[in-house]
Amino acid sequence: MDFSVQKGLALIRGIPNYPVIQSKVKYILLDTSLNALGAAFELVTKMVPEMKAEIAGWNEGRKFAVGVLPKGPYITLEKRGDMIFYLGKGLLSPEISLLFKNLDSGVLVFTGMMSSHQAVAECRVIIKGNNAYAMEVTRAMAIVQTYLFPSIMFKKIFKDPPKLSLAQMITKAKVYTLLLPAIVKHMI
Amino acid sequence: MLPNYYQFYCPVKILSGQTAVSNIPFEMSVLGCKKAMVVTDKGVAGAGLIDIVKDAFADSDAKIGYIFDETPPDSSNRIVNKLAQLFSKQDCDCFVAVGGGSSMDTAKGANIVISEGSDDLLKLQGVENITADLKPMIAVPTTAGTGSEVTKAAVIYNEEANAKMAFMSDKLYAEVAVIDPRMTMTMPPKITAATGMDALTHAMEAYTCLQKNPIDDVFAKAAIDLIRHYLVRATQDGKDEEARLGMANAALMAGIAFSNSMVGAVHALAHACGGVCHVPHGVANGIMLPWVLDFNLDMIPEYIAELSGVLGGSIEYLEPADQAQVTVSQVRNLLERLNKISGLPTRLRDAGVSEDMLPKIAEAAVNDGAHVYNPKELTYDIALGLYKKAF
Repeated sequence: MDFSVQKGLALIRGIPNYPVIQSKVKYILLDTSLNALGAAFELVTKMVPEMKAEIAGWNEGRKFAVGVLPKGPYITLEKRGDMIFYLGKGLLSPEISLLFKNLDSGVLVFTGMMSSHQAVAECRVIIKGNNAYAMEVTRAMAIVQTYLFPSIMFKKIFKDPPKLSLAQMITKAKVYTLLLPAIVKHMI
Repeated sequence: MLPNYYQFYCPVKILSGQTAVSNIPFEMSVLGCKKAMVVTDKGVAGAGLIDIVKDAFADSDAKIGYIFDETPPDSSNRIVNKLAQLFSKQDCDCFVAVGGGSSMDTAKGANIVISEGSDDLLKLQGVENITADLKPMIAVPTTAGTGSEVTKAAVIYNEEANAKMAFMSDKLYAEVAVIDPRMTMTMPPKITAATGMDALTHAMEAYTCLQKNPIDDVFAKAAIDLIRHYLVRATQDGKDEEARLGMANAALMAGIAFSNSMVGAVHALAHACGGVCHVPHGVANGIMLPWVLDFNLDMIPEYIAELSGVLGGSIEYLEPADQAQVTVSQVRNLLERLNKISGLPTRLRDAGVSEDMLPKIAEAAVNDGAHVYNPKELTYDIALGLYKKAF
């Protein structure tokens, strides 16, 4: 790392209560990201046929959670009919949970610096519940990420980066347009 | 190449060599245990291997509380729950698992149920989801393939879902692994070959998958080297004690490697073959290994190429992709040789899989967590394509 960057980081670390502040910032970042993911899940299941196909075989009422140990944030979602509904923040009796071991691991994945498969490979995530169901949730999450993250980040987050058709790009633009109001709706 | 991040953990005490089984009562005393639940299967008991274990207890204060010999080839959640109830009823304080992967994984599964205070294994599925300290376990492998004696994994068949469930936790390591050549001498040639291919798959996937790391690489290469020396010998002559001990150590080292590096698409495809069509795990791994190496070849030619020398072929200083092809050929040649010696199937059609089952197996394969660690994405279409090639 460049000396000036190191010096800058050392200065920042010297701020009183730095550990608490940095942890709070990471928590807020992840809380916001998870909220966006929850809202995006709803939008993508509503608008993307491949997502509907992916969840068609899921058991009705399957609840799954994504979050960070030990104190959150967490979100819980549920499959009902051909939709996935974002139930809100917290662990609301999920059947399957995908939980990052710490805030740093969550930040790496939700800022697109690390793929979710690499996070699993590096033992940064624990899974509670049926592993096969967890794999299905992971595949659905990958579809959501396709419509949530800019294409420029695909190489970093997918083993086999998807190439979007024109129709898919239009859908992605619609998801982006509707995402902010959806996030706000869930915040209030 | 160092990965950005890796973890390595193996807390298992290893006893390997002549009369190693005789040390079990002493190891129990070190662990503070007095009454063992011996977990095995009818085949192992019928071959007289439990008698060797019983002999070891003859002059000891430690006792065998109960011998559970009902483990089936693919242990299930029902068997695990039954064993857990027996363990409590018989007032045992440790497990001594004597057998192949199924017996060891059954003991691990029951240990989870007992220690978590549950009545059903299905409630405790997951990865690193076990928080309670488990009862001490001593593992005595009678096959040379699974590596379960040194891994943090247990694979149990879910009778309701008709699929294999994988449990992964650092709590699942045995305290002691006992490698005694007497315990693998009775293995028939075909099972020797199949379990040996299982060990080879563990080592090769550990060496080529996403979480490969320098410590596991050492174990993986050492395992492959032992397999090169001893697998054909042990299959040809089961009484070759040196070859048996060599293969038992190979399986153990491959187990240490993959318990940390994890496996990949071969295992996802093999688990599905086992879950849907009951193809023995080692047989399915052996059949799928060359096809998956070939599939991964364009992504990681260097890693696959590096194994050609360890497998016994010359290092020809070809381009990595060409040298990697040499590795794939070596694996195919080994499989063919084992087929000639023991009748080990080389194609899925010879292993009891019908072509119309392939789509169903491919569906199960993409839901198996093992392929997360594979360098290339395994989709349904790719899985089906690989199965068709291997059919």
